Amino acid sequence: MPTLSLNQVTIRYDGEPRPTIGSTSLTIDTGDFVVLTGRSGCGKTSLLNVAAGFITPSSGTAGIDGRSITTPGADRAVVFQNDALFPWLSARDNVSFALRMRGMPKAERNRRADELLERVRLPKAGGKAVWELSGGMRQRVGLARALAADPDFLLMDEPLGALDALTRERMQTLLLDIWAGANVGVLMVTHGIEEALLLGTRGAVMAPDPGRIVRVIETGFGRRYVAGEPVRSIKADKDFIAGRAELADAIFDGEPA
Amino acid sequence: MSALFRPMARPDLERLAPFDTELSDHDRPDALSVPWSRPAPEPTRSKRWSARWISVATIIVVLAAWALTAALGIVSPVFLPSPAAVAARFVSVTTEGFVDSTLLEHLGVSLARVFAALIASLIVGVPVGIAIGMSTVGRGIFDPLLEFLRPIPPLAYMPLIIIWFGIGEPSKVLVIAIAMLAPIALSAAAGVKGVNRERINAARSLGATRRQVLAHVVLPSALPSILTGLRIALGAGWTTLVAAELIAATQGLGFMIQSAAQFLVTDVVIMGIFVIAGVAFVLEFAIRRIEAVLVPWAGRD
Ligand SMILES: Nc1ncnc2c1ncn2[C@@H]1O[C@H](COP(=O)(O)OP(=O)(O)O)[C@@H](O)[C@H]1O
Ligand SMILES: [Mg+2]
Repeated sequence: MPTLSLNQVTIRYDGEPRPTIGSTSLTIDTGDFVVLTGRSGCGKTSLLNVAAGFITPSSGTAGIDGRSITTPGADRAVVFQNDALFPWLSARDNVSFALRMRGMPKAERNRRADELLERVRLPKAGGKAVWELSGGMRQRVGLARALAADPDFLLMDEPLGALDALTRERMQTLLLDIWAGANVGVLMVTHGIEEALLLGTRGAVMAPDPGRIVRVIETGFGRRYVAGEPVRSIKADKDFIAGRAELADAIFDGEPA
Repeated sequence: MSALFRPMARPDLERLAPFDTELSDHDRPDALSVPWSRPAPEPTRSKRWSARWISVATIIVVLAAWALTAALGIVSPVFLPSPAAVAARFVSVTTEGFVDSTLLEHLGVSLARVFAALIASLIVGVPVGIAIGMSTVGRGIFDPLLEFLRPIPPLAYMPLIIIWFGIGEPSKVLVIAIAMLAPIALSAAAGVKGVNRERINAARSLGATRRQVLAHVVLPSALPSILTGLRIALGAGWTTLVAAELIAATQGLGFMIQSAAQFLVTDVVIMGIFVIAGVAFVLEFAIRRIEAVLVPWAGRD
């Protein structure tokens, strides 16, 4: 089972006087659900982009089982905040994009795309154009598109950030169901403290100047949901409430209240 | 998929229910939701209609003034034939022809020239535009050439083309094609430069090779812009038609107008102008229809 590791990664963008990310390490195993939080601009997206292979670190290494990450690849499918769907393709063709790139025959990839659309609970959306879909539906198409690549790792950058509160709650449990049924390691960026706590097996908190992980909290609430506990009861648990305070403290550490 | 999905830890029917239908109230684009779901504001219906009525009234007034001027004999029919005379000419040239061809034949020849030129400039212009949009070398090579070519009026380069390529059909097509080249290449370049970076990243992380990214992301992204360029180019080409048909033509709308002018058959000249304007209008409309079918997503995201 593959392990993705970032090892003392630093990022210094061209023209920036100081590094955006300063020596940060992170390891994601298959089955992990790592949630990355932190204030805006502290470098969450930058770190995820290194794992995705969109940018190369200025120093340090990013690799999977010792093989260094140099380019994007279908072993690390990405879900974007603004979905980045292809509007010239139907929802089904968006989902089957990775399979088409591999040369899979049309009938077979359509069948698989429909399976995946069902898995993200959009059984009737296959023939729709993406602009006919709402924000929440588009994100689910984006999720199905990433899953179609059969990735080892799923990298999600604020996938629920643009959704309204109710859709967001539904999407959270959907993500957990998907994660429970798929053999993947997840790295997800979010602004939501409750979201981080509920979804993750591990929560990593970043702080800025330079961006780095300052706190890692083991959280098991996602596993409890998968084992059958209702979300409401999880959120009422005193461990959850304490965890929420702990996470908030870590995020806003050093900030005047 | 078999390797990816293990059975659900707790298959729960309630959890698996699709939610694209029941969530409709909160999960649907509306004025309050995410920015990309918002439809572009349209002018109010009443404003649109009042502008349209003003246009209709303007046309009626101009036609009436023309008819009146002609009827009162203020201007000699050699300079300004009556609308009725022009309409009669339209019928007679359609049925009997003028300078050895019917109106439809003149029109067909002109359209064939414009479309041959369009295809030629697409074949050259789109790759050139992609080169400009995608590589520094391409931009360095083609940008100055296009900027040089773009402002030159067709009548200025036409003599050179006659010297180089003679007075045959290729020269006429070439004059039109050169006029079309810059709008097509520049709009293709703009389309390529405007490709959403995240979509390219998405395709790459879904396993697309660089060549596949070009074919499956860059080109479709640029297509709306290329079609806009095509529409502008067709306008430019149609504008150049009369000039191109100065070159030893024996058929064509431009040729028809010029022959008529030499014999002071003013009603044919005016009729020809109307036909050229009408065809330009129809072409513009047709391309907008094609855009709606081919790139329905344009402007929606
Ligand atoms: N391509 C880039 N070039 C220069 N600076 C960048 C670039 N991308 C991000 N930054 C800067 O790096 C910092 C971290 O950005 P980002 O990783 O997007 O943070 P987050 O996702 O946590 O909000 C920000 O200050 C941002 O302006
Ligand atoms: Mg970000």
